[in-house]
Amino acid sequence: MSVLKRICVLCWCLLCFAAVVDADQTLTPVPGRPVAPEFELQDTVGKVHRLSDYRGRPVLINFWATWCPPCRDEIPSMNRAWGKIAKENIAMLAINVGEDEDTIFVFTADYPADFPILLDTDGEVIGQWPVKGLPTTYIVDPEGRIAYRAIGGREWDDEQLLDALRTLQK
Amino acid sequence: MHWKYDGYPWRLPCDLTMYRNNPVMKVILKAMTWFLLLLPSLATAAVVRSADGETGLVKWHFTAGDLEIELVQRLPDQTRGFFLARGFSSEVADEIATRCVFQTIVRNRGESPDGKPVAIDLGQWRMVHEGNRGGILLKEAWIASWPAAKVSQASRIAFRWATFPTVQEFLPGDYNWGMTAYGLPPGAVFDLNVIWQQAGQVQDGWIRGIECPADVERLK
Repeated sequence: MSVLKRICVLCWCLLCFAAVVDADQTLTPVPGRPVAPEFELQDTVGKVHRLSDYRGRPVLINFWATWCPPCRDEIPSMNRAWGKIAKENIAMLAINVGEDEDTIFVFTADYPADFPILLDTDGEVIGQWPVKGLPTTYIVDPEGRIAYRAIGGREWDDEQLLDALRTLQK
Repeated sequence: MHWKYDGYPWRLPCDLTMYRNNPVMKVILKAMTWFLLLLPSLATAAVVRSADGETGLVKWHFTAGDLEIELVQRLPDQTRGFFLARGFSSEVADEIATRCVFQTIVRNRGESPDGKPVAIDLGQWRMVHEGNRGGILLKEAWIASWPAAKVSQASRIAFRWATFPTVQEFLPGDYNWGMTAYGLPPGAVFDLNVIWQQAGQVQDGWIRGIECPADVERLK
């Protein structure tokens, strides 16, 4: 057996291992970067947010609900991430699906969130996005196109994920 | 047997090239190489049943290649409470709760080196209960069965997002969770034939002896 063959086997094993280790903290590039559907939603303090208001900045858009366990799990890491990126011209919007302000108010007493939480009470906005389950997160590039998606929860303060957002600024 | 060390003096014993003239080592190295190369395709389905120490709820953990499925019992009372809190009438909440509901988590573990997506369609899954084979309950059937006046729009939104999507593709690292229902009475036991697609190939596996959670009366 050639040394080259053995090196190939070793590399292959390392690749497999790396894939397993990184499986949870990945962002999936969205082919063709489709234009992100526009929305206009109020946040919990009544301010109106339009996606187009954020043109020129990368935007992290997270669809969630208070009753969704993985959504609850990732909110603290989103808040830590927000603490790191808030001053970096990167936006973060958490769109709650189907719940009212009172429910979210009670929830944020236990899970503080300093980033804007928008209310999609009738589920109209989520219906326009290609979401299959909660939580799902999209990264929209400064031109308003969907660059990445993440299905399921992530540790959003992971520097690897934040670097993907920062890279879109350039 | 001839054992010839043909390496250089600075080679370490773990440098496998120095055993190239040893016939036994050659066979072992070849076998090891093929084992590593074939490891992903040898990944057969495995099912582990375990019970939560605190709640007593049982879960079934299924793995096969890149696919991982976890079915966790949901007590009818848990499910009843969840839907009552989301505006369902007690009649509808009870109807859902007593149809063998499991919290379901599906994940693409991303163990293939080429990172192929895994696709599932719950409409293809089959269950066997007391010799009868049939499909599982799909969310579309539930929603279609409720007249508009019976279940509000807000409740429908909660139901839609709390239940597992019927069709979904998972890229490496993706996972989703939600409720799946099997339509059987509390305490029933069934086998589930899970079917998925990866790289254009249809694959399947069995989770046997799944126990629908018992209702409150049975726990007393």
